[in-house]
Amino acid sequence: MYWLSGDKVSLLVDRLAEDYAVYGPRRDEVSGEVIFDRLNLLSRLDLQAAIPYNPPKYVLFPQYEEIIKYLYERQSRKVTIEKIDKLQPKALIGLRACDLTGILCLDRFFLGQEFVDEVYLEHRQKLFLISNTCVRPFPQCFCVCTDSGPAAREGFDLDLTFTGQGYLVLVGSRKGQRLVEEIGLQEAGPEAMARRKKIIDESVSSFDNFALENKAWISRATNRLTTGFIKPEVWEYIGNQCFECGACSFVCPTCSCFNVEDVNRMGGATDRVRTWDSCSFEGYTKMAGDHNPRKPVEDRRNKRFFCKLSYSQSKKYLRPGCVGCGRCARVCPGDIGLPNVVTYIRREITGE
Amino acid sequence: MSYYRGICNFCGTGCGHLLQVENNRVRGVYPLPGHPLSRGRLCVRGWHIHELLQTEERITRPMIKEGDSFRPVSYEEAIEFTASRLKNFRGREVACLGSPRASNEENYLFGKFARAVMKSNNLSLTSDAGLEESARILLEGCGFPAMTGSLSELRQAEFIMVVGGDLTKQNPIIASEIHFARRSGAFLATISPRKTQMARLSQKHLRPNPGTIWLLLEALARALQTEGLVKADYLDDKIENARQYLEYLDSLHLKQVSELTGVEEQEIILLARKFYESESAYVFYPVGIQSLDRRSMSALLNLFLLAGKPGRPAGGLCPVTGISNLLGSLDMGVSPAFLPGYFPADKEISWKRLEELWQVSLDRTPGQSAGSCLLENQSLRALLVVDHDEEIIRHINRIKELDFVVYFGAYQNAFAGLASVVFPRLSYVEEDGTYTNSERRVQLSQKKVEPPAGIRPLWETLSRLAGALGQPWPYKSAEDIMAEISRVVPQYSGLSYEKLRASPGIKWPVDDLHLSGTEYLLAEEAGCRFRFVFDRSPDRFQNISSVNEGRFPFKLVVGRSNYFWHQNSVMKRTFIPKREYNALLLLYPKGFVEISEEDARALGLREKQPVRIISEAAEIKLAARISPDILPGMLYIPYFIEEMISGFLHHQASDLEKNEEFFLPVRLEKVE
Ligand code: SF4
Ligand code: SF4
Ligand code: SF4
Repeated sequence: MYWLSGDKVSLLVDRLAEDYAVYGPRRDEVSGEVIFDRLNLLSRLDLQAAIPYNPPKYVLFPQYEEIIKYLYERQSRKVTIEKIDKLQPKALIGLRACDLTGILCLDRFFLGQEFVDEVYLEHRQKLFLISNTCVRPFPQCFCVCTDSGPAAREGFDLDLTFTGQGYLVLVGSRKGQRLVEEIGLQEAGPEAMARRKKIIDESVSSFDNFALENKAWISRATNRLTTGFIKPEVWEYIGNQCFECGACSFVCPTCSCFNVEDVNRMGGATDRVRTWDSCSFEGYTKMAGDHNPRKPVEDRRNKRFFCKLSYSQSKKYLRPGCVGCGRCARVCPGDIGLPNVVTYIRREITGE
Repeated sequence: MSYYRGICNFCGTGCGHLLQVENNRVRGVYPLPGHPLSRGRLCVRGWHIHELLQTEERITRPMIKEGDSFRPVSYEEAIEFTASRLKNFRGREVACLGSPRASNEENYLFGKFARAVMKSNNLSLTSDAGLEESARILLEGCGFPAMTGSLSELRQAEFIMVVGGDLTKQNPIIASEIHFARRSGAFLATISPRKTQMARLSQKHLRPNPGTIWLLLEALARALQTEGLVKADYLDDKIENARQYLEYLDSLHLKQVSELTGVEEQEIILLARKFYESESAYVFYPVGIQSLDRRSMSALLNLFLLAGKPGRPAGGLCPVTGISNLLGSLDMGVSPAFLPGYFPADKEISWKRLEELWQVSLDRTPGQSAGSCLLENQSLRALLVVDHDEEIIRHINRIKELDFVVYFGAYQNAFAGLASVVFPRLSYVEEDGTYTNSERRVQLSQKKVEPPAGIRPLWETLSRLAGALGQPWPYKSAEDIMAEISRVVPQYSGLSYEKLRASPGIKWPVDDLHLSGTEYLLAEEAGCRFRFVFDRSPDRFQNISSVNEGRFPFKLVVGRSNYFWHQNSVMKRTFIPKREYNALLLLYPKGFVEISEEDARALGLREKQPVRIISEAAEIKLAARISPDILPGMLYIPYFIEEMISGFLHHQASDLEKNEEFFLPVRLEKVE
């Protein structure tokens, strides 16, 4: 473990900026809210800021991305297919533990199955990841229920824990080790590990006082969802409140649904574009000739929560599909974010 | 930084968003946390605006039509040519169609061009004049032309009533605020024949027969009276024509209303009581895409006044605009009825004032909407159009007869092909501009990307045209135009870009008395100017019961609100919303008619079974879609199905687009 004093953070960031495009949390000037953004001005990085409103997933799984380009040439009657330009290496600084866990879930989806997604792989190989322990949870958080925080356990190159004066730095990879040596960080001393653990324990025990928005009864809900003992009326009640906006999927650090479109560009070439998609959309599962025209929205809601919380899905991710970030609750026009849904399921179980 | 603050440009909610810009292209969108109205939410359209903003189907150069094709030309040539043609027309020979999606600055200048340069008052926005109608009624009734309440206070609401339309589809984030208000304790009632999602989220849903919403609303007022909740003396004090209105209500019998509307008397009384007892109340109705009809709007105003609700916080009469800058465009006077700032066009004093401000002489000939001109005005010869939705194409034959058509547009579309000259326009992320949402919130949208080379802002094109026609205009930026707007439009007098840059929008009126804007209409300011707005027609029930009931037992409603975005040229350039809006068409490629479960059972109809719809004038074959959302006796056809616009509904087209209360008596037969 190493020690990074508060005034040395810029040293670390500047060094990274030489090789990477740097992303991290910053505050919006007018609303003061936190956004995870490309930092053109490195001084805008704010490691004390709350969990950002957007998850960092767009950096490696963009909302709109050209994946290949192809051109049909009339004369030679040939099609040429090109890969789209080389991707830039990126450093993500100040990742919250839930969001880092989200990236690990995406890895399982894009890389851990039968097919490896090459575009994702290239993004992923060029990432430098620095996590940041939540020394105190934010109102919307419930990562302790989903086993994904408040501190990172794996997957980072470097991990920071704020002590009040500076940061304890845990190294997670060879890349990380090299950087720490390059900028000449000192060892943090023998008690550092215990100190970090103490900070994390304090954070965990403060959830009751600070993380007040969402009390999720995840394990019981998981049980119910997996066994399917949830009355259809509960899903109907939830489905009636869904505005079918897709936000819950877009903001979820682990949601990986996508859509593929071919777009004709000026000059004759065609771009194959990948965009975010959501299981909340009617058209997502629909095909021409579908014989179930009134496929109700509650079935689609049901699917998302099944994906986030059932055992069978957890096996795919090797953990629950929800990392407890609370974002879907904030963006949902219907007020049926995952924590509320868990509450409705709980009410059904307890008959409250 | 790559995320920039902005405002969604689709509907009149005006949600805050963050646009992700990379290499001068908008690559993504995210809800803006902390926006006072949208509070970090977007709807399905808003979540995909970046798909539209990436389209390459832009108009990038001025073009002049030669024969059947267009020749790209320089701005100089296009302006010289256009000016040389336009100077041959004036007044009634010209009609101008502004765009409710364009900024206040663009609309203000377009209106000025029509009135000051072309001397024409044929100036309008969409074929649906509902917002203008609503403004007229609200002005007459309470002296204030737009939403009297503020949406920021919705979550403190005690009572909310949503009348007509389909709010969760049209303005989803306003609907979401209503949903949150209900969840925090407000009583929510919906009045609509269709069982909309809003109706499902409501504690109370009254389902009047098609065409009888206004009657149900009058009955609610009548119920206040019969329940003894109206104090005539008090009303006399506040409202000029209280006696007359109470007399008018006297002749209404709840029992009779109940028969005609299909809503039980007891239900009417209960809702009226609930409305009366709540400290304050919000009522919402749609305008702009398929507006509530005039009678219903006035009935709603009257009910609001009668129950003593104006001027209280956490409440208000709320017309909800379906298109992004519809309200702002009317504020700017793009209307035959109002000059900028709601000065009525039928008052000489309005013209005098504007002539002084603009320093030109103006023509007082009453104007018409562009749509009416195309239908009725035989002397029409020239048409000027700013970005439009495809509905105007309906007048294609008349447009082809015109001598000269100018189109100012950002995207290629079918209308551009009808023009004699086409000028490109910037998209809303390529230029500064202000947009005014349903709740009068004026928001500044700042330039985020450089436009494709060579495209000039609309204000510059209009200024150069005005110059070429002998009126040099001095504008150097959109900000300059706002400076002029603040002198001409009193409601905007306290606004400036400087003020707007640092704010999430300010609600007009912004003036010396309201430096930081106005949340809701203050009763003491409106003073004693309240008036009931009603028509004392001898027989209020005429038109209700159809003489044809035997031969044409069904009431066919043609819905636009629910499906408006389908036929929208803007939506066609997105991926996901296009797919979602088309999902239904995949299942019913030839169109469908919705019928209630009860009627389908009685007629022995199966899902997707072909049926024939027959009216007095025409008939059409469609697939049946059995829907739990439809009242027995009612049929529902979405407007987007091509064939209907041209064929079956052709004769009723102009009536149909007036409002959602219109219906057609028809019968339905199975096709064996
Ligand atoms: S389901 Fe909701 S709370 Fe869970 S990880 Fe996804 S966005 Fe966060
Ligand atoms: S965010 Fe809420 S309203 Fe939107 S699709 Fe998800 S559950 Fe439905
Ligand atoms: S509600 Fe309207 S303004 Fe808001 S995101 Fe949807 S379309 Fe855009």
